Amino acid sequence: MTTLRAERVSAVVPGRRLVYDVDLTVTPGRLLAVVGPNGAGKTSLLRLLAGDLEASSGRVLIGESDVADLHPSELSRLRAYLQHAPAVDIPFSARRVVALGRHAYRHDPGNFRERDAQAVVTAMADTETSELADRSFRTLSGGEQMRVSIARVLAQDTPIVLLDEPTAALDVGHGERVLLRLRNLAQAGKTVVVVLHDLNAAATHSDEVAVMAEGRIVALGSPESAFSATLLSEVYRHPLRVSNHPFGPGIIVLPEKG
Amino acid sequence: MSGKPTTETGRRGAFALLVALVVLAVIASLGLGAVVIPPSEVAAAVARRFGLAWGSEPSATAVSVLWNIRLPRALLAAVTGAGLAVAGAALQGLFRNRLAEPHLLGIAPGAALGGVLGASVGGTSGAVAGGTIAGMLTALILKRLSRSRSSEPSRFVLTGLALGLAITAWVGFVVFTGDRTRIPPMEFWLLGNLAGTTWPTLGTTTVLVSLGIAGLLAGGHSLDLLTLGEADARRLGLDVGLTLTVLLLAVGATTGAAVGASGVIVFVGLVSPHLARGVVGAGHHRLLAGSALVGALVVMSADILGRTLASPREIPVGLITAAVGGPFFLWLIRDPEFTE
Repeated sequence: MTTLRAERVSAVVPGRRLVYDVDLTVTPGRLLAVVGPNGAGKTSLLRLLAGDLEASSGRVLIGESDVADLHPSELSRLRAYLQHAPAVDIPFSARRVVALGRHAYRHDPGNFRERDAQAVVTAMADTETSELADRSFRTLSGGEQMRVSIARVLAQDTPIVLLDEPTAALDVGHGERVLLRLRNLAQAGKTVVVVLHDLNAAATHSDEVAVMAEGRIVALGSPESAFSATLLSEVYRHPLRVSNHPFGPGIIVLPEKG
Repeated sequence: MSGKPTTETGRRGAFALLVALVVLAVIASLGLGAVVIPPSEVAAAVARRFGLAWGSEPSATAVSVLWNIRLPRALLAAVTGAGLAVAGAALQGLFRNRLAEPHLLGIAPGAALGGVLGASVGGTSGAVAGGTIAGMLTALILKRLSRSRSSEPSRFVLTGLALGLAITAWVGFVVFTGDRTRIPPMEFWLLGNLAGTTWPTLGTTTVLVSLGIAGLLAGGHSLDLLTLGEADARRLGLDVGLTLTVLLLAVGATTGAAVGASGVIVFVGLVSPHLARGVVGAGHHRLLAGSALVGALVVMSADILGRTLASPREIPVGLITAAVGGPFFLWLIRDPEFTE
C-alpha cells in the first residue's frame, strides 16, 4: 500500500529541466538516501515524490494512487515532508509547532486528544527536544529549530517520510542520532527517503542510495555498488576516493588530498 | 515583546481584564458627552430598563439620550472596533505579514466605495449592505493580486495601498457628484463617524460582523497552520487556496459591514492585533478573541475622546485613532523583534 514509486517522472520549468525521466521505487522498510552536487535536482525530486511539485510528465504513485489525484488532507496522512529550510519566524512554543503535525488527524472520530498528545511527547523525546517544549520556537538556535521541525514530521506519523537535509544544521552527535532514528523508522516498516550531503552518513545509514546529477539519477543501489570513485569524482567534479571503512563494515568516501 | 504571560492563568487574567475594560468603556460612553449624565443616573436608567426600580427616577431626557443616542453609538463603536481588529489579525495571519490590515490592503477603501454606492441607493442600510458586498469583492481581488505575497511581502502591501488610494478617489467622485442629502460626506469615508447611530443599523451591522468574526474564529486553526508557511501548511493537509478564499470573504464581510456603518476608521485593524498579541499570545483562537476586545476598547475610547475633547463639537473618531495609533505604531516597530 505504501510503496513509493516514480515512473519516468520529469519536472520542467521554463528554460530548465529540474528532474528528468526518473524511475524509482522505494518499498516499506527501506531507507533511501539521495545525494548529489548542488543543483542536481535532489529537492525537486523529493518535492515530486511528496506531491508538492507537479510532474511535467510521468507520475508518482503512493501505493496505487497517483499523488496528483490526492487531496492535501489525504496526502497528509500518507507522507510527511521536512523542507530544506523550515520557516523560522513562528511565534509559538516548540510543543505547539510539533502539535501542528497532528493536523491530519484533527477530524478523526476515533482520534483522541490523548493520542495526539502522546505522539507529540514521543516525537519530542525522539529528537531530544522535550526540554525545549515550552520555549518560543523563534528563540531557538538553528539546530534546535531543525530538531523541533523533525519532531513535527515524526508526530505526523505517516507511512512515508521524506526529509530534505535533516542533518545540515545539526552537530555530529545529534545528526547521527537523527539518522539512527530514521533507520529505526524504516525498520519499523516505514518508507523513508532522505536527501543528504554527507556521503559517509549516506553510506552508513541507508539501504539504498541514489546519486543525482543534472536532474537524473545516475547511480542507484546499495552504497557499495552505487558509490564508485570514478562516478562520484565525475559527478562532484572533484577527485574522490572510496575505501573500506577502517573500523566496521561498509565504505567511506574521502576527497583526494592536495 | 517582553512580559508576555505564558501561563494559562495569566492569559485568563488578561481576558478578564480586557472584558472588564470593555464594560467600563461602555459605562463611560453612556455617561460622557455634550451632557454629562452622572453614573448613578445611568445605573438607575439601566436598572429601570430591566424592570428594577433602583435608585432615584432618572429624567426623561437622560433616558432618551442614553437609549436612543449613546447606547447604540457605544455598541456600534464596539462592534466596528472588534470587526476591524479581528479582520486585521486574520489578515496578518493569512499573509504572515505584520503590516497586513484591512485599510492598508485596500479592503476598507473597497468597502467604502460599495458603501457610498449603497448609500446613494438605499441610505444607511444600503451603505451597510453595499459595504459588505464590496468588502468581500475587494478581498477576492486582493487574493488574485496576492500571488506574489510570499516572495515579495512589501510589494504585496504596496499593491494593496495603491489599490486603496485609487478606490478612495472613486469614493470621492461619487461623493462630490452624488446626492449630498443621501450620501455621507467625504470625511465619513476618510475618518469615520459614529454619530447618529440607530438601533436598526446597529442590529444589521452586529449580525454581519458577528458572522464574519465567527467564520474567522472557526478558521483559527488554519491560521495557526499558515504560520508554518503555505507550503508546510499544505503538506500538513490544509487546502490553502480554499482557506484563503473563505477567510478572505469573512474578512471582507466583517470589514465591509463595519465600514458601511461607521465609515473608514484607520489604524484600529493594524494596532489592535499587535496590542492583543502582547497580552494574549499568538495562537489564533486567543489572538482573534483578544483582538476583538482590544479593537472594541480602542474605538469606544477614541469615540469618547472625540465627543468630549472639543465638546459640544465632535472630532471624527478616525482622527483620534490616527493621532494615537500613529505614534503608538512607530513605537511598536522600534522593537527589533518586529522587523525580524
